[in-house]
Amino acid sequence: MDALVFVLAGAMATATPMLLAALGELVVEKAGVLNLSIEGMMAIAAAIAFMVTLGTHDHTLGLLAGVVSGVLLSLVFAMLVLVFMANQVAAGLAVGILGLGLSALLGRAYEGMTILPLAKLSIPVLSGLPVIGPVLFGQDVVVYLAFALAALIAWFLYATKAGLKLRVIGENPATAHALGLWPVATRLAAIAFGGAMAGLAGGYASTVLTPVWSQDMIAGRGWIAVALVVFGTWRPARIVVGAYLFGAVSLLGLALQALGIGIPSQLMTCMPYVLTIVVLVVISADKVRIRLNAPASLGENYRPTT
Amino acid sequence: MTNWMKRILVTGTMLAGLVTAAHADPFRIGYLIPNPVGDVGWSHELDAGAKAIQEHFGDKVEVQTVNSLGEGPDATRVMDKMAADGFNMLILGSFGYQQDGLKLAKRYPNLSVVHIGGYLNAKNFSTLAPRHYEAAYLCGMAAGMVTKSETLGVIAAFPLPEVLNIMNAYVLGAQSTNQSLKPVKVIWLNSWFDPAKEKASAESLASQGSDVIYSLFPGTPAPVAVAEQLGVYATVTHSDNTKYAPTKHLCAGQLNFGPVLIDKVQQAMDKAFKGDDVFAGVKEGTIAVAGLNNDLSADQKAQILATQDQMRAGTFNPFTGPIASNDGKDAVPAGTALDDAAIKSMKFLVKGIDTTIPN
Repeated sequence: MDALVFVLAGAMATATPMLLAALGELVVEKAGVLNLSIEGMMAIAAAIAFMVTLGTHDHTLGLLAGVVSGVLLSLVFAMLVLVFMANQVAAGLAVGILGLGLSALLGRAYEGMTILPLAKLSIPVLSGLPVIGPVLFGQDVVVYLAFALAALIAWFLYATKAGLKLRVIGENPATAHALGLWPVATRLAAIAFGGAMAGLAGGYASTVLTPVWSQDMIAGRGWIAVALVVFGTWRPARIVVGAYLFGAVSLLGLALQALGIGIPSQLMTCMPYVLTIVVLVVISADKVRIRLNAPASLGENYRPTT
Repeated sequence: MTNWMKRILVTGTMLAGLVTAAHADPFRIGYLIPNPVGDVGWSHELDAGAKAIQEHFGDKVEVQTVNSLGEGPDATRVMDKMAADGFNMLILGSFGYQQDGLKLAKRYPNLSVVHIGGYLNAKNFSTLAPRHYEAAYLCGMAAGMVTKSETLGVIAAFPLPEVLNIMNAYVLGAQSTNQSLKPVKVIWLNSWFDPAKEKASAESLASQGSDVIYSLFPGTPAPVAVAEQLGVYATVTHSDNTKYAPTKHLCAGQLNFGPVLIDKVQQAMDKAFKGDDVFAGVKEGTIAVAGLNNDLSADQKAQILATQDQMRAGTFNPFTGPIASNDGKDAVPAGTALDDAAIKSMKFLVKGIDTTIPN
């Protein structure tokens, strides 16, 4: 029972950085831009958020600083691909490496320092319920925020006019431009939003999830976020499922080991990746639907000629 | 990864080398550290060793420390360049530097190389390994004394022989002070570095009743800091982590590379460098318990320190039989003790550890 609560309750927090970053990347990709610099944006945000939180003892300020630094780095990427028309894959990788390097440089003096994590929610009665209490009513505020943002983004993309415009631009920016839409400005906004989400994700990773600063602490979570978008076939609900599944299965491995159940630990270490891919591939097996969901102009630069 | 930054560091090191070469020829030592130097941990202790050398020899030596190199081509390039620049000695602080270091030692017969944590030797290539397991046994004694749930948890990276002998010594130490210990729980991280996973592992062990958590070769102080928050004791390798768990730090194996390295540097300066295999423990002052918790009574602390004194005198080996392995075999027969070679190549877990060796 303790193991079950540990897995279910812990999965929420474990999944949050990947979920936030993946939701941001979803919006960017829906606008037709492939931004592979998530890992770097998360890293730089993690460093800045940690430094600010350490200095001010205020997680809100720290997370905000993370958001701002994520946006700033994403604007570098935006300049490369929207103004200089650089190849999106190459620009994303380059900016990502820049972010990782900068985060290591900035964080040098902070190596191994710790801060107190964000307090978990505590609602009288509800938080004390067995299993449900810690899982649903005992999380920190960012976990709920991630949920809310997922719903908000789904609503924005599929139920608002602005979301429809963004998706049209992602399908065919030339046609969108001919219709009087603004592909470059929209893509810029989408990239900045993706940067903000990656920044929040990175800040959460360094100040809440693991309240210790260390170089390379993002440890590949940005790449998992990119993968979640693809394997979730650009659908918000599937990305949520994928992220929580990944979080739960990675903790399940630790819980089973602590229980002393004799499953080889290497198998448990690769299970989150394998299972997440398998589940997402199965639920999105329909090839036609994948093609419908994937933005047609993903990765292609566009500049209005008139 | 952070290649550009390393390049700047490396270039800086080389420039510093050029500038100082004009001085009256100090004995030049290149000192490679794999990771960033934090306040605790492997790289921090290596850095402290470099400082100890510089302090001991003063102007006579010049120690150039380069950290955050990782174990890839960057490190190889730095050590190649140092050797080509006429450094007298290299001290290599990571297992992964072994092959490239050995090649260099063969190419530059006048270069003295000390490699920390490996198993190969040559005439001018010496191996240094700390006897982590000695401190592990002592910390295990402390763990056995304080546990109320009789359940200990261990977080370990990979099942290397060194990790196994540390884990075994820890459990033997705990069993020596507590006869009613339940099977020890182990989480294998299968990763050298993932702070979030380290933290979650500590939480997982604590949620299932472990009230002492041993962070064996941690990448970060995360498990120790989490133990403090969860209200369970933490024991740890490499460094005293008391600042991360002011009330719950039970015991640490504190490394001190200074004395043995000063010895090796002196040998090299006297042109009497031995390419030997140095397995240094409590006796050589390379490791000792530190940060013992005040919840341990004076008697308990005295008992731990008395065992440490026996190790210093060379009269106590934790791997003295009879020791049964956890798959029911007779690992160390009664009346015998494992020698250094057997300890270094350990492949079994002692009875009372609730895990299998992943392979």
